[in-house]
Amino acid sequence: MFSSSIRELLCLRQLYRAIISGQRCKAQVGLRTYCRPAPLLTASPTRALIDELITVEGCFLTPNSPITVRARMHSEDGDLWESLAYYYTDGRGTVNLNRDSSIGGSYVGCEPMGLFWSLQAAPGEREGLRLRKRDVETPYLVDLSVLQGHISSCDGAGGQGMRAEQEVAAVKVERWYMSPGVRRVEIRQNGVVGTLFMPPGPGPFPGVLDLWGMGGGLVEYRSALFASHGLASFALAYFDHKDIPGPAKRVNVKDSYFKTAFEILQNHPQICSDRVAVVGLSFGVYLTLKIATQLSVNPSCIICINGPLGSFNKSFNENGVSGTFDEHQEYWSYDEHNNVSFREMSSPKNIPPENFVKIENLNCPLLYILGEDDLSCAAVENADEIEKRLRAVGKSHLFNCVSYPGAGHLIEPPYTPNARASLWTTRPTKLITLWGGNLAQHAVAQEDSWKRILGFLDLYLRQSD
Amino acid sequence: MASMVITNRSLSLSPLISVQPSRALVDEKITITVRNLPPKQKVTLHSLHQSEDKDFWEAFGHYISDEDGTVNMAEDASLGGTYEGTEPMGLLWSLQPVPGSRPGLRLRKMNVLLPMVVHISVHSGHIVHGFSQAAALATAVTERWFMAPGVRRVDVRESGIRGTLFIPPGHGPFPGILDMWGGGGGLVEYRSALLASHGFVSLALEYLSVDERREINVETTYFETAYQVLQNHPQVQRDSLALLGLSFGSSVTLTMAAYSKVIKPQCCVCISGSHVHLVNKSLFEVFQDFSINMPKARVDENNHVIWRGLILPIPTEPGKKVDVGRIKCPVLLVLGEDDQNWATKESAQDMEAMMERAGNKHLLTVLSYPGAGHLIEPPYSPHFRSSNFIIQQLKKKVIMLWGGQTKPHAYAQEDSWKKILDFLYQHLYNKPNASLQARL
Repeated sequence: MFSSSIRELLCLRQLYRAIISGQRCKAQVGLRTYCRPAPLLTASPTRALIDELITVEGCFLTPNSPITVRARMHSEDGDLWESLAYYYTDGRGTVNLNRDSSIGGSYVGCEPMGLFWSLQAAPGEREGLRLRKRDVETPYLVDLSVLQGHISSCDGAGGQGMRAEQEVAAVKVERWYMSPGVRRVEIRQNGVVGTLFMPPGPGPFPGVLDLWGMGGGLVEYRSALFASHGLASFALAYFDHKDIPGPAKRVNVKDSYFKTAFEILQNHPQICSDRVAVVGLSFGVYLTLKIATQLSVNPSCIICINGPLGSFNKSFNENGVSGTFDEHQEYWSYDEHNNVSFREMSSPKNIPPENFVKIENLNCPLLYILGEDDLSCAAVENADEIEKRLRAVGKSHLFNCVSYPGAGHLIEPPYTPNARASLWTTRPTKLITLWGGNLAQHAVAQEDSWKRILGFLDLYLRQSD
Repeated sequence: MASMVITNRSLSLSPLISVQPSRALVDEKITITVRNLPPKQKVTLHSLHQSEDKDFWEAFGHYISDEDGTVNMAEDASLGGTYEGTEPMGLLWSLQPVPGSRPGLRLRKMNVLLPMVVHISVHSGHIVHGFSQAAALATAVTERWFMAPGVRRVDVRESGIRGTLFIPPGHGPFPGILDMWGGGGGLVEYRSALLASHGFVSLALEYLSVDERREINVETTYFETAYQVLQNHPQVQRDSLALLGLSFGSSVTLTMAAYSKVIKPQCCVCISGSHVHLVNKSLFEVFQDFSINMPKARVDENNHVIWRGLILPIPTEPGKKVDVGRIKCPVLLVLGEDDQNWATKESAQDMEAMMERAGNKHLLTVLSYPGAGHLIEPPYSPHFRSSNFIIQQLKKKVIMLWGGQTKPHAYAQEDSWKKILDFLYQHLYNKPNASLQARL
């Protein structure tokens, strides 16, 4: 054994000398020499929509060997996000993420899109980050690479992570929220603030009014994606936006604001006025339910993701003034790290009865998407309450609900990472809020619910006559 | 109060065209489907592209929607148009200049940093012309890219060489390819960009200038220098290099592989090429000799120039053709049997015979495509049976007949590209290297 190790060492030295002198090296009997292999990593397609599957394959790798497949990207704020997974190459030296199972790392099992939904802020990055695309007209650029061995992110010098020479192949992919031809149109009309995404072509198209929650601002990426599927989609701002006048931290728009927004869609020459849906997440659910029941407009269907039937803010009627979000802190709860959960604020038992939307007036199909581990909204209780009230008036047939174990509050378009918690505010002090959701289960929820959302919209906006 | 609105209640919803993926590399297949059409409806699928030269190109196919109102190009057959049958990529490879276009056009991407944008539309009925006036029922937009994300484009102006280097993403090192086009000259980048998108460092080399002010007096040393520039690049594996040429670029490839003491590639790919040309002479002398044969050029009924006969009969004297028996590396020959520009089939047969006699025939693989012409390019590119060509040596503009019929030519492009990539992977990536096996 000792002598064969010496032979091995001698051969290696000879090989090393041969390589640096550019000569061909002769193999020893019984031992073969190791010339640099040239592995290849491919991704298909290399430019994909966010909800499109990407096939990642490696070949010409050392057979039956441990490898790490890694994804890295920088958010728009410059933070580094990273995921990695451990595989073994097969007897032919290949790895295929559609076929093979990860045995460790950011995810386990056979997960073709695991590298994308398990991205996390790299060690050393700021706390409480959430990955969200602001500019939907540019893609995410993701570096995929395959490295020798099973490497953890912390190996190697400091913030540089893994040493460069361990990377044996790489490929870069673009992930887009917008397909070519989709037009982004800024809307500042009749006091309404939002962005309309129009599919290419003459139309007419079905329309979607797209509402987010009390994070505020103007969130465009879901609408961009809807438009990439042939739906004219209007991302609406209603809170904490520079173009909406009024005091900070208050919802300064009234019911009429949402009615006007809906009618902007209906009146658009390229949109079918009788094929408009409303989609809402979080507080956007409350608004969606209101629009569908109390504003004299008739959406074809509505979709509610993890949101409440009622609100503390007895608000938005023409005469009232809404309260601020910070007013009911008795319902805020804190975990051992002082992270805040807003969950109880939306629990039906805590909300004044007169503040509930008159769901009994609903006349169109409703799809409720529910994350059972939602720590920001009492989604389970609200879904139950909606179902109960609809059943009481013989409208059960309108209620559709899909419930996802282990999924959190932020059920968003697929193959993007969940933030179990993220930075909510820095004033007066830094506050991190809990959204909930376990990474892998949340990923399942996003993938499945997105298909159901598109299917539901297709059914009630395209197929029904 | 009911507001006065213009409603679209009476308008029925437009059909939905989806193209997947909507952004693809030019050699990637895409799936085009149309939904929400009336069932059993005659429709025309139409593609439209505006070239960098501002010309319009179009293709179309006639379909009948099924009982669900769907057309799926991967499954349904076109009943007529610029292509027929079940052809998922037909709207791309059958693109042709729109009626009224300037004659002799050829579609080539010169700026590879931007995609080729194609509009796919669906029209009611089976129509054959007047698409610009006919209102489309729906439109989708798709991008066709020669360059994958992360591929770097680098101008090469060193040691007298003029070219463009394309480097794949990652550290490398990668195998390298010296990529040479033909007698049309200039610096053509798209094939190299595509090769880099598949993991090869590829140097697109200009060796025939189309700029009169820039006379490149090209000798063998020019190609050897280019090869060394590629080989010495820090991201190129020195011992994993290939030559790839089309048309006259093939002749250069064969010459270098047979005679150069500097150029020792692992393999060569020769598309639509011949070994027939003067050896050990400068390019200038080669073209001079070539011009002597010009009286053998013919024209067809449209006055398109046929050069096929210029090198026929294949000479038997040495010095008039490359001694391919000297080649020591695998060679892949790709040719179209309807090549009207170069007698590639006869050349391939002669090369085979020479290599048989020399004992190196096992190195040769020939891909011969019936019905294909001279310009065998990356897949799903349109076919040009003829196009404008400037004969540099005579300073004359003609319309050159390349040959080929569209459908078999499209097949040749698709099939040969797969096989070219496999050949390159086999000889440059999957070389017989061994793994270290310790005996413990």
